[in-house]
Amino acid sequence: MCLRSVYKVIFAVAWMFFASVAHAGFQDVLDTPAMKSTLADKTFLNGIAIAGKRIVCVGWRGHIIYSDDRGKNWEQASVPVSSDLVAVYFPSPQQGWAVGHDGIVLHSTDAGTTWEKQLDGRSAIQVMAGYYAKCPAAGPSGDDVEAENPLSGIIERYGEEGADKPFLDVWFENETTGFIIGAFNLIFRTSDGGRNWEPWFDRTDNPELLHLYAIRPAGNDIFIVGEMGLILKLDRQAGRFRAMDTPYEGSFFGITAKPATVIVFGLRGNAFRSQDGGGTWEKIETGVPVGLTSGTVTEDGRIVLVSQGGHVIMSSDEGAHFTSFELEIPFPMNAVASLDKGTLVFVGPYGVQVVPINCD
Amino acid sequence: MSVEVRKIDQMPVVKDIKDFDQASGNILERIIFNNRLMIVIACVIVTLVLAFQASKLVVNASFEKMIPHNQPYIKNYLENKSELRGLGNSIRVIVENTDGNIFDPVYLEELKQITDELFLTPGVDRAWTKGIWMPAVRWDEVTEEGFRGGPVMPDSYNGSPESIEELKRNIGRSGIVGDLVASDFKSSVIFCPLLETDPSTGKTLDYSKFSKALEKIREKHTRIKGIERSGGPEQGGNISVHIIGFAKLVGELMEGLAQVMTFFTAAAVIAAIFIFLYTRCIRSTVLLIACSLVAVLWQLGLIATFGFELDPYSILVPFLVFAIGVSHGAQKMNGIMQDVGRGTHKLVAARYTFRRLFLPGVTALLADAVGFAVLMLIDIPVIKDLSMTASIGVAVLIFTNLLLLPVLLSFTGVSEKAARRSLEAESEDKSKKGIGAVYGFLERFTSRRWAISAISCALVLAIIGFVISLNLKIGDLDSGAPELRPNSRYNRDNAYITQNYSLSSDLFAVILKTPIEGCYKYQSMIESDRLAWDLQQVSGVQTTVSLVNVMRLYTAGTFEGSLRWYTIARNQDILNNGGQVAISNNPDMFNFDGTVMPIITYLSDHKAETLTRVVKVADAFSREHSTEDHRFLLAAGSAGIEAATNIVVKQANRVMMVYVYLAVIALCFITFRSWRAVVVAVLPLVLTSILCEALMVILGIGVKVATLPVIALGVGIGVDYALYLLSVQLVKQRQGMSLDEAYRHAIRFTGKVVALVGVTLAAGVVTWTFSPIKFQADMGILLTFMFLWNMLGALILIPALSHFLLNKVKATAK
Repeated sequence: MCLRSVYKVIFAVAWMFFASVAHAGFQDVLDTPAMKSTLADKTFLNGIAIAGKRIVCVGWRGHIIYSDDRGKNWEQASVPVSSDLVAVYFPSPQQGWAVGHDGIVLHSTDAGTTWEKQLDGRSAIQVMAGYYAKCPAAGPSGDDVEAENPLSGIIERYGEEGADKPFLDVWFENETTGFIIGAFNLIFRTSDGGRNWEPWFDRTDNPELLHLYAIRPAGNDIFIVGEMGLILKLDRQAGRFRAMDTPYEGSFFGITAKPATVIVFGLRGNAFRSQDGGGTWEKIETGVPVGLTSGTVTEDGRIVLVSQGGHVIMSSDEGAHFTSFELEIPFPMNAVASLDKGTLVFVGPYGVQVVPINCD
Repeated sequence: MSVEVRKIDQMPVVKDIKDFDQASGNILERIIFNNRLMIVIACVIVTLVLAFQASKLVVNASFEKMIPHNQPYIKNYLENKSELRGLGNSIRVIVENTDGNIFDPVYLEELKQITDELFLTPGVDRAWTKGIWMPAVRWDEVTEEGFRGGPVMPDSYNGSPESIEELKRNIGRSGIVGDLVASDFKSSVIFCPLLETDPSTGKTLDYSKFSKALEKIREKHTRIKGIERSGGPEQGGNISVHIIGFAKLVGELMEGLAQVMTFFTAAAVIAAIFIFLYTRCIRSTVLLIACSLVAVLWQLGLIATFGFELDPYSILVPFLVFAIGVSHGAQKMNGIMQDVGRGTHKLVAARYTFRRLFLPGVTALLADAVGFAVLMLIDIPVIKDLSMTASIGVAVLIFTNLLLLPVLLSFTGVSEKAARRSLEAESEDKSKKGIGAVYGFLERFTSRRWAISAISCALVLAIIGFVISLNLKIGDLDSGAPELRPNSRYNRDNAYITQNYSLSSDLFAVILKTPIEGCYKYQSMIESDRLAWDLQQVSGVQTTVSLVNVMRLYTAGTFEGSLRWYTIARNQDILNNGGQVAISNNPDMFNFDGTVMPIITYLSDHKAETLTRVVKVADAFSREHSTEDHRFLLAAGSAGIEAATNIVVKQANRVMMVYVYLAVIALCFITFRSWRAVVVAVLPLVLTSILCEALMVILGIGVKVATLPVIALGVGIGVDYALYLLSVQLVKQRQGMSLDEAYRHAIRFTGKVVALVGVTLAAGVVTWTFSPIKFQADMGILLTFMFLWNMLGALILIPALSHFLLNKVKATAK
């Protein structure tokens, strides 16, 4: 062995040593499993999904909790990261996805008991860079293809900024096919249950790279809403999300829909209803002064919207009129789900609550 | 000792002073007794000077003096103290509307006046005072335009229903409910950090004065139903004011001290009565009490001269000095009385007694002084002060009660009747009736059967006591202020706050130290959040508050208030913006250059166990997660300081006992020159120490700053009895007497005074049990126990142990 290679080995070992020392000081949340805590169901939770009979909630510090007895007892799932999680969706009782800050995407095949990382902010940018390097495509604004790929600058910047962009919502139409959306026009689609993710960054009419807050279907349509009144609808033929005329300049945080009705809602109690697939919108008088955060449809067809101030409003006429549902002690709400005909589940800064509602 | 023995041999009855050799005795004795008048005059002058000095003595207490300054946590706190806001000494004034809620213009007006008056009270750190009338108390709100905010009390407030509605809204969005406003909206808090030293005058805070100023404010604004208050508003709610905080606590303690003086007097009177009943001689009783009081006066004068202050903790020292003085004085007086009774001249009798008892007296006093001095090892200024003042007091006793008292008695003598009585009592012994029966009973312990049963009993007690004492706790065992009784005004105020506010006043803070602007670096934020979450898991933690909470809010604010963005952004620009907003809106969350930031934990109580749990978690986190860029340092906040104090007290408790015993053993050895005698003297003390700890467990008294001295003193004072009793017994044995003869002699000479003193002192301190200050009551109980048990231990266990260890003492005399 020549002397030089010995030096190399020594150098390499030394470098590894110092590198590991440097890392020992701070462990990234993406590399730190979530801590189990009995307080998890009383702490900040952002999203809910119903997986068969099971309630699954996600929140701060990688917390994912589930209950099989309608919220009486909560178990905490094993989660490989401790990032703040934002949204969760189960297309089937067993298969589920959760997304959140640091670009995290988690997947569960056992109804939410254990979770595996499918993507994070670091790998998501690499997927984008790799994808667009191979197939130069149109910009997100739908401009014509130019000589220089307009995306390369953005992707380079996103790469430099690191894993600082969250995914804010997730929706799967079945166990294999779904979308994840997030800040600054982040959007990916999978058709193989999340093994591969295809960036749809260039397939949105979102030239300002506004945040995408929610994605949900209405009948056969798929809608995305976001910052500054952004409403997008999937054009299945063209394979892109097309911008719709918007009735509002402020941000939309959520979508809730019945087959013939779609309702978008957001800041300051603003909510709009469309019954023609997003062509025209009519304003709904919600009587809520603060941001509407989430909505759901109960088994018996009532539409429910909740606010970050603890308002719960319901409509039995396809969203034309809403009445307030008074909680004994209102609490801020980040998400709502309908457990069954007479029960709603709320999550918010103070954890999860299961509340019966009258069924008449 | 052998020298002494020969001298005792040469103490014939001398009826006439002319027959007495003035040149006999050692040089000290000759100097003293041949210049008696000079000694008396000198003492009178010293007394006058020191009495003048003592009149200048100040009673005060200091927050800083209660802190162990060299404990690492405290060092961390003191180093960063100026950067940590509102985590030091503070008071909370809670103004309650007993007839409605805070949204009442009359209440608000009253609150404004109280706020203004507190604001102007010297000692209050105005810059960081908080309350709904303080413009620094703000609300923040996130809207689609970004942040909005303002003072909670609207600038345009005019008492109209509209402005009250606005106030209501502002309180709702400010997040101060449970902290500055009660959860039931019936009261609100004015939070005042205090300045330990006045920056303009450089004077330390006078707690007594400050507490009185608070009382004045309370009295002025309290309005109870049905009681008219002159000059007050005609209508509106009734106001009740609750005050908590160290300054108020100390104020209440000092008020309690006035009563302590009564107990002191009661103890002195009781002691005098006991001694008179025993001697039936007014002259000597008065002299004895007077000399002991002179000792107290000298001690007070000296500590004033040396610039010490009395505080609620060292207030017991004068009493102890008095008690010890009585104990030694009684021995001297008894000796003189017996000699006079035998017909010796009063001067000769005084000199004989001086010869016999000066050395054991000095040794015993030195043992006491060492017991006190060992407390110096405890790194808490109040205890060091106590140790210093007490050592001074004991040193003074050598002059007043070992020198002055015999000299005075040599002038006055004792009443003939009393002297004869003391001899009659001796002859009565032989008839085995009355007191003689007691002597007879005690003497039996020198026999094998009785010795074995006494030692077995002691052994059983020691084992039971030891098992119980394993549960001895460090620190406070109750919530509220354990110094005061549970139904005291202060503790009722404290209970009111615990009930109506979700956040307690027991704060434990970990200090984050970083390079400049490092507090709101992403890694610092994440690590602080992890620490906060770790701490929240601990039982007894209500919640945690730090810049992280604020930063999450501001991050959400950057994104239109969406709760999904209620996170710690990885993007440093967002955190920097948040830091900029926080520096103006939340200045108490970190310091101006972003290098110091507290992570504050609100605890449900400050019980020692709660503190230990919190410290364990915080310390482990600090070890694992501190790097050069972010160091997590323990600890600040009232509970942090208390945790550090508990750690110091726990260590000190062991170290102190070791040193006290080493010192006592050394002194006993010097006196007795026999290891066996040392064992005989020390073992009863060990039993007392063990049983005292067991008693503390049973009574729910923890080892803390207030009780630590008592534990050491118990040993120091206890050894007095053994020294007096055993030294006489040994002298007699060395003269050739058998053990039971020697003990019979010792018990009649010094033993009966041991019993007298034990009972007298116990009767004196037992009155403390009625003190409004709980820790004094606790001290009273512990001291009573120690005085009595040490006495019994000495009288019963010394003969029993002697049976096995000192049965064959070789006669050294001719």
